[in-house]
Amino acid sequence: MKPLQELAHKLLSEGTVKVVIGYEEGPRGVRPAFITDAAQAEKLIFDIRCVQNLAAYLNPRRTQVAQLGKAAVVVKGCDARAVAGLIREKQIDRDGVVVIAVRCGGVLQNPETDTVLTSETVSARCGGCAVREPSLHDYMVGELPAEPPVNPQRAEQIAALERMSPAERWNFWDEQLSRCIRCHACREACPMCFCLKCTAEKSQPQWIDSSATLQANRAWQTMRVLHQAGRCVDCLECERACPEHIPLGLLARYVADAVERRFDYVASDDPSVPAPFGVYRADDEEEFIR
Amino acid sequence: MTQRFLSHQELASLVAELLAAKTRVIAPVRAKDDPEQVEYQPIQSLEDAALGVRIPRRSLKEFFLPPTEVLLHYRQTKTGVEIREVATVAPPQVILGALPCDAAGVAAVDKVMNWDYRDELWFGRREATTIVSFLCSLMDATCFCTAVGLGPESSTGSDVLLAPVTGGYLAHLVTPKGEALLQAHGSEASEATLAAAEAAQREARQKVEQNLAAIPAEFAGWLASNFDNPVWKTIALRCHGCGGCAALCPTCHCFDIVDEHESADEGVRRRNWDSCQTALFTLHASGHNPRQSQSERFRQRIQHKFSIYPSRFGEILCSGCGRCSRNCPGGMDLPTIVGELVAMAQAKPEAGGQ
Repeated sequence: MKPLQELAHKLLSEGTVKVVIGYEEGPRGVRPAFITDAAQAEKLIFDIRCVQNLAAYLNPRRTQVAQLGKAAVVVKGCDARAVAGLIREKQIDRDGVVVIAVRCGGVLQNPETDTVLTSETVSARCGGCAVREPSLHDYMVGELPAEPPVNPQRAEQIAALERMSPAERWNFWDEQLSRCIRCHACREACPMCFCLKCTAEKSQPQWIDSSATLQANRAWQTMRVLHQAGRCVDCLECERACPEHIPLGLLARYVADAVERRFDYVASDDPSVPAPFGVYRADDEEEFIR
Repeated sequence: MTQRFLSHQELASLVAELLAAKTRVIAPVRAKDDPEQVEYQPIQSLEDAALGVRIPRRSLKEFFLPPTEVLLHYRQTKTGVEIREVATVAPPQVILGALPCDAAGVAAVDKVMNWDYRDELWFGRREATTIVSFLCSLMDATCFCTAVGLGPESSTGSDVLLAPVTGGYLAHLVTPKGEALLQAHGSEASEATLAAAEAAQREARQKVEQNLAAIPAEFAGWLASNFDNPVWKTIALRCHGCGGCAALCPTCHCFDIVDEHESADEGVRRRNWDSCQTALFTLHASGHNPRQSQSERFRQRIQHKFSIYPSRFGEILCSGCGRCSRNCPGGMDLPTIVGELVAMAQAKPEAGGQ
C-alpha cells in the first residue's frame, strides 16, 4: 500500500517516530511488522488478511516494543477503539503515539484459508462497522472501500444464547469453560488487559484458584469478561490466542451487548468519551440493588 | 525391529478387542466444536477415529501430564496434618494414530521426569500406555521434524509405528510392549509391502526437509555463548507472551504446584501447567523479575529447547510439530526464527577489523 509506505518512510526518516508498527508478509500469511528503518517501509501492506489488532503492542506490558521508542501504529477503525481505550485509561499519552488509520472494508474470518471477502468469509465482527474512518487518528490513508459484507454468524450465536433458558446457557458455558487450561493466553494477548497484577494472580487472599477446575475456570473467565465490559473492542485476539479454541469473543460480545442496552455505550474510538466503568451517573439504573 | 502386515480389518478387530477388555483407546477424532479440526480423544470404535486427516490441534502431552492434577489430599487435625496420597498406577490405555512428533515429544519429557527425581505420576501413565503411531503424511509449512533429528517415519517414543500400504499397514514393532500388543495380529509382510512403505517414508521426509535444514550440532554451543547477542532484543517483538505455544508444545513440561483449600481444614495439592513465556514464571517475591521483558522470556524458550536440554540429554527439546507457529496470534514462526539463528551461528566471523 503505497500511501502507507510513503507515510511510514516520512515519519521514520524525519525522526517523528522510532518504529512503525504495521503489517507485513510473513512466512505464513500476514504478520505484525516493526519497521525501524525508513528503507524497510516498503514492506508494509494492508489488505483483508490484516486481522491482528496492533494496538496490543502499545499495551505498556509489551516492554520489548516500548524500548524501541515512540511508535506509529497502523490501525483499522476497530483497532483505533483499543488505542482510544488505552489513552482513556491513561495507559499511554495521546502525544506518545502516532495513529495511522487505514480505511477498511472488513477483514477475513480465516485469513489462512480464504482469499475473497463474502458474507461467509468476512469476520463476523465487521458487518455494520461504524468506525471505518475512526475519529482517533493522526493520518488516514487509503480509499474508502465498499462496506464490509454482513456475516450473520455472530448475531445468530447471540440470538441462540438469548433463546436458551438460564440453565441451558449455564450448561453451554460450562461445556466451553471446562476446556480452559488457565494458561491465561487470552489475557496476555488482549490489548486491554494491562494490569501489572491481575486479580487471577493475587494470592493474599487468593480470589481465584489457579488450577484449571471448572469452578475456578468459571470464576476466571467471568471476572475477566466483566472487567472487559464496555472496554472490549471485539478484536478477537483472545480467541486467536486460546490454545483450546474457546469462543471467548462470543462471551465478551454478549457482555458488550448488555452494556450497549443498559448504558447506550459502545467502546468508543474517541478517547474523550467516558466509558461506563469510569463514570458515575446519579440516574444509573440500580434496580438490582435491593 | 520386527515388521508385520496388518490389514484394515485386523486393526479394527484389535481396537474392538481392546475396548472389550476395557482398555481406553485414544485416537484422533473430529473436534466437536469444529469438524474441520482434529483432536486426540477416547474412541468407542475404530469408526470414530479420523486417522490421517489433519494434525491434531493439541499434542499427546495432556494424557501423561494433565493441565491440572491432584498430587495429594491434606487434612489439618488437632495434632498435625494428615496426608492422603493419590494412586500412581494408571489404567491401561492405547493411543492409536499418534503423530511421530507427538510420540517423540513424550519420549523427550521422559528424560526430564526421570532426571533428578522419578515422577511417579508421569511414569504411572507412561507404563500403562502403548503408543501406536502413524507414518505422517500431514505435514504443512510449519513442520520441521527432520530438522530436529526426527522425521515423519521416526519411531522415537512409539511402541508400534504403522505405515499405510495397500490393504492395510506395515507395522514396525518397536518395543516389547508393541510386540505384545500385536502378537496375535497380522501376518508376515511381503517384499512389495516393505518396498511400498519405504517409498512412502522417503517421500514424506522430503516434504518436511524443504521447510528447515537439519539443525547442526554446534548450534547448541553458539546459543550458549550468545546469551547476550543483540538479536534477542528484537527477535520477540511480535510475541505477546501469551504462552499458547507452551500449552500446545509436546515437549514443554513446566508446572507450578499449589495448595488449594476445599474446606476449612481440608485441601489438595495440585500441579498445573506453567510457561516460561509469562512474566509471573520468574517473578520473585521481592518484586524483582530476572526476565523483565518478552525478549528475555523468548530467549529462554529457544535456549532451553536448543541448548540447555541438549547439553543435559544430548537431544533437542522440540519435535518439530509446528503447533507453536500454527497457533501463534503474533505470527512468531519457529522454523523461520531457528533458521535465522542457525544462519547467524554458521556465518563466518567478519574479516578485517583492527
